[in-house]
Amino acid sequence: MLAFLSDTWLLWLLLATAALLWSRSRRSQLFHYIFNRYLLALGTLLLVSAIVFSLMEVLPGDCAEKMIAYKNTQGEVITEAQLAAERARMGLDKPLPVRWANWVFDLGTKGDLGFSCSKRQSVNAALGDRFWLSFGFCIAGLIFAYLIAVPFGIVSAWSLNKPWLDRKAHHSPVRRVRNSLGLILAKLADLQLRLLSYLGLALPNFLLALSIILLYVFAGEPTPTGLFSDAWRSEPWFAETGFQWGKLQDFLGHIWLPILVIGWAATALQLQTVRALVVDESNKLYVEAARARGIDGMRLWTRYPVRHSISPLFNSVGFDYQRIFNDLPIVAVVIGLTDAAALLIEALAMTNDQELAAGILFLVALVVISMNFITDVVLAVVDPRVRNSVMNGGGH
Amino acid sequence: MSINQMMSEPLLDLRDLCIDFHTPEGPQRAVDHLSLSVQPGEVMGLVGESGSGKSITAKSIMRMLPGNADVAAHSRIHFHDGQRQIDVMGLHGRDLRLVRGGQVSMIFQEPMASFAPAIRVGEQITETIQLHTGVDYASARRQGIELFERVGIREPARRFDQYVFELSGGMRQRAMIAMALSTQPRLLIADEPTTALDVTVQAQVLELMLELREQFGMAMLFITHDLGVISRIADNLTVMKKGQAVEAGSTDRVLFAPQHVYTRRLLDALPHLEQLPQPPVTTPEPLVSVRDLSITYPASGPGQAPFQAVPNMNLDLPAGQIIGLVGESGSGKTSLGKALLGAAPISAGSVKYHLDAPLQLKAGQKIKRRPLAKVAQLVFQDPYGSLNPRMTIRDIIAEPLQALGLCRNRDEVDRRVLEVAERCHIDVSHLRRFPHAFSGGQRQRISIARALVANPRFLVADEAVAALDVSIQAEILKLLKELRDAMGLTILFISHDLSVVANLCDHVCVMQHGRLVEQGSVRQIFLQPRQPYTQALIAAIPTLKRPERGLLEGTAALDSVVAHG
Amino acid sequence: MAGLIARWRGQHTAFKADESYYTAGQLALIKARFLRNTTGVVAGGLLGLLVLMGFFAPFFSPNAPGIEGANPDYRRGAPQSIQFCDADGCSLRPFTYTYVKEVPKLDLSSLAGGDLNALDALTSGDSLSASSQNRFIEQTDQRRYLQFWVQGWEYSLFKVEWLGIDIRSDRHLFGVDQGQIHLFGTDEDGKDVFSRTLHAIWVTISIALVALAVKLFVSLLVGGISGYCGGKVDAVLMSITEAVRVIPPIPVYLACAVALSQIDLTPVQRYFAIAVVIGALDFAALGRRLRTHILTERNQDYVLAARLSGASSSRIIWRHLVPSFSSYIIVDTLINFPYVILAETSLSFLGLGLTEPVNSLGVLLQKAQDPDIQQNMVWQFAPVGVFVLLIMAFVFVGDALRDAADPYSERKR
Repeated sequence: MLAFLSDTWLLWLLLATAALLWSRSRRSQLFHYIFNRYLLALGTLLLVSAIVFSLMEVLPGDCAEKMIAYKNTQGEVITEAQLAAERARMGLDKPLPVRWANWVFDLGTKGDLGFSCSKRQSVNAALGDRFWLSFGFCIAGLIFAYLIAVPFGIVSAWSLNKPWLDRKAHHSPVRRVRNSLGLILAKLADLQLRLLSYLGLALPNFLLALSIILLYVFAGEPTPTGLFSDAWRSEPWFAETGFQWGKLQDFLGHIWLPILVIGWAATALQLQTVRALVVDESNKLYVEAARARGIDGMRLWTRYPVRHSISPLFNSVGFDYQRIFNDLPIVAVVIGLTDAAALLIEALAMTNDQELAAGILFLVALVVISMNFITDVVLAVVDPRVRNSVMNGGGH
Repeated sequence: MSINQMMSEPLLDLRDLCIDFHTPEGPQRAVDHLSLSVQPGEVMGLVGESGSGKSITAKSIMRMLPGNADVAAHSRIHFHDGQRQIDVMGLHGRDLRLVRGGQVSMIFQEPMASFAPAIRVGEQITETIQLHTGVDYASARRQGIELFERVGIREPARRFDQYVFELSGGMRQRAMIAMALSTQPRLLIADEPTTALDVTVQAQVLELMLELREQFGMAMLFITHDLGVISRIADNLTVMKKGQAVEAGSTDRVLFAPQHVYTRRLLDALPHLEQLPQPPVTTPEPLVSVRDLSITYPASGPGQAPFQAVPNMNLDLPAGQIIGLVGESGSGKTSLGKALLGAAPISAGSVKYHLDAPLQLKAGQKIKRRPLAKVAQLVFQDPYGSLNPRMTIRDIIAEPLQALGLCRNRDEVDRRVLEVAERCHIDVSHLRRFPHAFSGGQRQRISIARALVANPRFLVADEAVAALDVSIQAEILKLLKELRDAMGLTILFISHDLSVVANLCDHVCVMQHGRLVEQGSVRQIFLQPRQPYTQALIAAIPTLKRPERGLLEGTAALDSVVAHG
Repeated sequence: MAGLIARWRGQHTAFKADESYYTAGQLALIKARFLRNTTGVVAGGLLGLLVLMGFFAPFFSPNAPGIEGANPDYRRGAPQSIQFCDADGCSLRPFTYTYVKEVPKLDLSSLAGGDLNALDALTSGDSLSASSQNRFIEQTDQRRYLQFWVQGWEYSLFKVEWLGIDIRSDRHLFGVDQGQIHLFGTDEDGKDVFSRTLHAIWVTISIALVALAVKLFVSLLVGGISGYCGGKVDAVLMSITEAVRVIPPIPVYLACAVALSQIDLTPVQRYFAIAVVIGALDFAALGRRLRTHILTERNQDYVLAARLSGASSSRIIWRHLVPSFSSYIIVDTLINFPYVILAETSLSFLGLGLTEPVNSLGVLLQKAQDPDIQQNMVWQFAPVGVFVLLIMAFVFVGDALRDAADPYSERKR
């Protein structure tokens, strides 16, 4: 009994969550909304798994062939019959939908992502911490992007539609010069930022990574590729002397490069999004009304247009993550990382390891969908505008 | 305070105000040598149509002009804050707060859009109070709730902590007024404060503003296009046209002895209850009969109930007349109009057209679109959305001809289009233009021309003049009357605006909550309304009315002119 | 009546200046607004120049891009500078110098003495290493003058096979009187980097064009069906779109590219296959937006007006709905150009898109990964600069177009 439960723990967890939400949804509009979102997320996940799984069919070869090929290297001579027997053992002779159903069943009951033929271990074991490493990179890249994009996007929005010079007839000459100087500075900053952000769009990540590495090469410094330098690579995190701070230092000295690189393009895109959102909000009547009440300067900007454009920005976190992860594999190749993205490239392009690649892609989609679900729920709770539309049944 | 002293120190003094806008087509003058002064406690009305520069004037007082607007160097705006004269154009930085919320505050036209949607209404009010008076949060909040009570919001404490979309339309405008009063300004600028509201709510809000003016004694700059509204509240009036003041003087003088042609034109647009047409002796045969008609919109999503807009309606529309269909928003009048054209879902009953080849719309029956389109057409409310921006005017007007295949060749289409364009007073040299080149009134003519090109018998005009200025409204109304007389059209004119209906229609139907409350000739409905709802509507019509005397006594009293109401 | 018609017809011929604004259609308005944007116009000019140079690459490039045009005497050669003046005076006609391969000076005399240390020094010194093997000395006394409109290798300037059009030419914009000119230097085979880059531009752009056409087709199909049918069809299509949207696209392209590499394809077929894959899988964003557009546009008053005028469904679709988003689609396509090019480059960079003998920007960029090139042939980074310039131009033009096509600027009047 206990074994059965532990074998199907994920299924029970999912069902229990659904039951909890459903029981609450009968009384509360909010939970009704959350319950619907939950079902929608699960449905999307199922679809994603189908797409990912069938996509992997296009990769050449199958697990049995690889197994046999491995044995081949050990000096055994393999016949066609043995190959067929191996296929039957692995269940590869069954049609695609059946194999997919099996895969989804294992995934949905115990979180088992399948078996990696090239690594000859389960996908979960092959991934290990690497998934979290990639996740960490992406999140750090996202934070990096937001930290730059949000304040500068706001500045950019502020300086939009402002003239270069103050030509107001009613201002004294001194004021005009002073105002003009301020305006020119802001406009220049905006122009530079826009140029920089366009450059971020135009310079692909891998080129940026290469350029940075090249700079190190020219300077004659050791390149910060990989995760650790040679000296620390094989050292454990915890030695007898306690936590190895040196290793952490070395780690931090390396990971800034991938974070910077993947954060860069995201920053460019994010800058434009923030700018558009803030400009949109700042043209609304309530901002003018607030100005007419005497609210001005920073207070006006932060409390009105900025505060109101945070929600849509927050809402896009899931897809931002997807976009950042999208760039990670190539960057990983250039920098020589050993995270899930590098594994994905390896599985796709070199070893044709279907289940491993499917597993990683599915996990990325899972993160995106969960983020979307969480942001939807958080916004419904926090943002009165969203809450209002949820409470009124959305369609009204 | 003697009158002389007040005259020498006006609260607000605009001298020779000129405002230019820099546009890609060159500078455009929005306000042209405007001089105006407001005495303490005076209500100054600023009247004009859209684009006349009245809102720009108000914004210039608060120094809130957009970046591409420029005030001429010789223009002066002075404000007297009780101790000293302040040059508004010279203010900068923190000092600007004096005219932004401190001594001058503003009520906007759309209360919904003027409150930030994600911040509680009360929070925005306490913020304003704290900013200008420097009191602590608790007392600012107490003051705010008190104000809510004074402007007549029930359960003020609860409403204070709500968001703007949780308040009803009237309550929003009351909250907006409370916000404007929260800093006890000397001058209140009200920019079309009642325009976006339903007639009955409009009357209440106006009542409230009059009351508050008595209590607080502040001066007001009341901007509106509606002479009926202004006649109740203003002491003095300035009429603006294209940035210039064409007429100014005491309200009585301007409204009852107008000197400028433009003012007279504006006055003509008001309902003339004493000139209502006599009802025809015999009622003509009905062209359209509505029998037991119900209109039900299907559920918008799972878990939603279907919405019944009109239950069980019976109505006959007499041929060759303009029939007014009146009601407040949500009364189902638009649904009824669309159902007659087969554009709203009929769930029961029928609509019958009495023609040589009778036509019937019934529940569950597929609509014969083509024969119907030849007989009945629609003129839309929004002159911007109803014309395809990617088609030339000629193509738009020709659409029904081509869609119905009524003409054999292009020349015939051109001839029909030219004919109908002439009839609707569209300059034929404009036919190759795209809609973006036209103003609202011209667009509405195009919309009417399109509706008429296939020679229909019946026209539904859904709020066809609601988006237009009064003087343009009058032209469109004249056109509709002409068309009725020349082509024998039957027109169902749907409107929330009773003054328009009074000036146009022969027969009036009043709707409320999807039901027909009362119907009859215009005279009957406007002069002897029987139902209480109709009576309330009629009473709320903003007809000319003597202002209730404030600080200033009317100078040119024209008591011989009788006010309506 | 006839007079009226005549007056109206007269308007066709007598075009007044301000009348042109009123009679301008949607696209003409966008164009007028675009022309007001200085950065957009500049970027547009640059883009036009790049595309032109790419399209007529053989004419603009002094050397054939393939191995047949390689210069065996100038392998791994640095860019040659074009000069007007030197120590011998100035010339109006620009010139470069003749170069001579530096013969590695092997001091074999000491070896003869049997000195082992000398052998050590020789092998460990850089005279035998790759970088020094190709060092060229400019003969500053021998000028090579730049010639214009020179005769060179023959190429087809404009070719449409199925129409039988093939305009051949052997004229090139510029060249030198003797030898070859290498503005961006040469690669390890002696192929001219400048010529390769020019040829690569058009390959990359044409891939993007094919990809965008496919993308447009799929998006229109998905968005159109979804938006017009609504209901269950819409729900199913949109949930599939939603699922596709959460999967990162580059790994998916990768999988498809790997699959393609199994099939035996000629470079040209491969090239189209990749373009189709990139285009076909990128329908989610545009498809969704088209659907929303159709849904909102369908409820516009003017569509209802057409319906009440008796217009049939097909008339509404073709006369009203399709024109309503055509300008939007054009703008969106231009904005998406850089992203598609980036996708192609990423694939080529990983060695899964196009491969070496083909000239595409991705193939040229891939070389930047090679440490040998990074250290000894920095000039092979020149395509990177061109690439960045091209993408920047696209982004700026796209941005200016987006501003110009902004529907809000219409409403403000």
